[in-house]
Amino acid sequence: MSSTTLDSTPSRRGAHAANGAPSGGPGRPAGAGIGPGPTFLRVLNSEFIKFRTLLSTLILLASTAVVMVGFGALSAWGTGQFADAAGSDPQAAEAIAAQGGDLAVTVPTSGIAFAQLILGSLGVLLMSSEFTTGMARSTFAAVPKRIPAFIAKLVVVMVSAFLLTAVSTYVAGLVSVPILDNYGLKLDLGSSQSVKLLLVNSAYVAAVAAIGMALGTLIRNSAGGIMSLVGLFFVAPIAFQLIPGDFFVEARKYLPGNTINPLTAVEHVPETLEVWQAALVLGAWVLVPVVLAMVLLKKRDV
Amino acid sequence: MIEAQGLTKVYGDKTAVGGVNFTVQAGQVTGFLGPNGAGKSTTMRMIMGLDTPTAGTVTVNGVPFARHVAPLREIGALLDAKAVHTSRSAYNHLLAMAATHSIPKKRVHEVIEMTGLADVARKKVKGFSLGMGQRLGIAAALLGDPQTIILDEPVNGLDPEGVVWVRNLVKFLASEGRTVFLSSHLMSEMALTADHLIVIGRGRIIADAPIRDIITGKGQSRTRVRTDQPNQLMHALAGAGVSVEVQDYELLEVKGLDPRQIARAALDNHVMVYELTPLQASLEEAYMELTKDEVEYHSLITTGAPVPAQSGGHQS
Repeated sequence: MSSTTLDSTPSRRGAHAANGAPSGGPGRPAGAGIGPGPTFLRVLNSEFIKFRTLLSTLILLASTAVVMVGFGALSAWGTGQFADAAGSDPQAAEAIAAQGGDLAVTVPTSGIAFAQLILGSLGVLLMSSEFTTGMARSTFAAVPKRIPAFIAKLVVVMVSAFLLTAVSTYVAGLVSVPILDNYGLKLDLGSSQSVKLLLVNSAYVAAVAAIGMALGTLIRNSAGGIMSLVGLFFVAPIAFQLIPGDFFVEARKYLPGNTINPLTAVEHVPETLEVWQAALVLGAWVLVPVVLAMVLLKKRDV
Repeated sequence: MIEAQGLTKVYGDKTAVGGVNFTVQAGQVTGFLGPNGAGKSTTMRMIMGLDTPTAGTVTVNGVPFARHVAPLREIGALLDAKAVHTSRSAYNHLLAMAATHSIPKKRVHEVIEMTGLADVARKKVKGFSLGMGQRLGIAAALLGDPQTIILDEPVNGLDPEGVVWVRNLVKFLASEGRTVFLSSHLMSEMALTADHLIVIGRGRIIADAPIRDIITGKGQSRTRVRTDQPNQLMHALAGAGVSVEVQDYELLEVKGLDPRQIARAALDNHVMVYELTPLQASLEEAYMELTKDEVEYHSLITTGAPVPAQSGGHQS
């Protein structure tokens, strides 16, 4: 409250004394063992504190989980209805046979399109809000090299997107199993295909969140960043389909949102990318914006 | 110690800071004064490595800010009271800042106590008044117990108690041998707080001197004289370089002579003088004198003489 409480910690004063001249002096040694400065783990810890102390972040995470589980349950019900109808409809039965008979395995990841939208937007927001609120000045004054803060945030964003998608997918699966059971459909959450779908979809959403964060860093504006993300993942595929010409048919395959199908397909579907191609294309869609974002973040004024 | 050499920042075709050189010494409060748009904040952002200079360098204790091993322990800055995500609580904001340098929670609580934020620390910054925002910014600046403290307009929006608190705080920090660099447009506040002044106008340094030199160097010293024979005294004082202004009944203000010379003239002419007070130019006057050609945005209303009512009132 008043100037009488100004005395600083004895420990910190001691640290200054240990460092010699009160004026600091150039090239002050980092000290033995743990240095006093921002190591990557410390910056990561700071970014994690920032991540978990925003209510809006927690709301977005919770809504992703709700959407994933809700869509899983809805999809389980719809799939059951479809399989029931197939009993009397030879056409539907053929469609099921074409899927290798396993309709149920994709049920837990039915909500993935929404998860990628929400968590991709979260990626945008976590960086764009730094700039719109002025927090960036505090962040980059503490970590003036900037890149460690960016990478730490990227790690927090990608890991949380991956874990949240994985856990929600698993819970969606748990909810779906009894529903599917009612229709005589079996879903084995431990099967290799189930595990593969869970991991690949979670990694895909983490990639989308990384692209979102790169867009947020480049555009520095929440609305602009989210619009770009939506444009890339939802508008471009439709636009490319509407524009006639072989080029757009071919180019459409290389859009980031169209890499998930080849990545999760049981067998290669004609007219889509091979698995390794899809993985490379998605990797490039992450790497190019992320590297560009880091270069410009380092260069531009905050 | 902060050293700027040829520090330049150009935005498009506008030069915000044009090749300035200055040194901010440790152990004293250095004020950074200038009209709006003079380049104060840009200079401070360049010191903190947030803006890259177009040309020139600025170092803190001999090293550019970004190359310090532990930047927050080296320099603390309040650049903008709202350099905070406003949906986060003050405590969590400070905790996240502290985490980058592994500064213990104990220190976070300390700066919260020190800045009088204890009652609101758990609340979202969104609801803070401007003054509370300033206190949070100062708390963040002090977090690493830095040797160098940079405060951009720290008393903006503070209540009188807060203004006195900041004044005592920066004086205390300087007395501990720290470098304190403080910008303000409140000249009366500078007069009370700063030991040394750097005056900037249109991106150039206009003055860089101890505050006392700036006050006495610019604006002639004046003497207030009360006498019951003003006409005789005016007659006696008349001479080259001397101007006498009748301010009131039996009250004169004399420029161009020191009190001793006035007393001698009065004695020689048998004029009784019952007050003889040396008047210092106020910082406002000195500042207006310095910056009259440098003001970026001239007010449309010309106020005429740059003499506010409290002229001299703040001087010791």
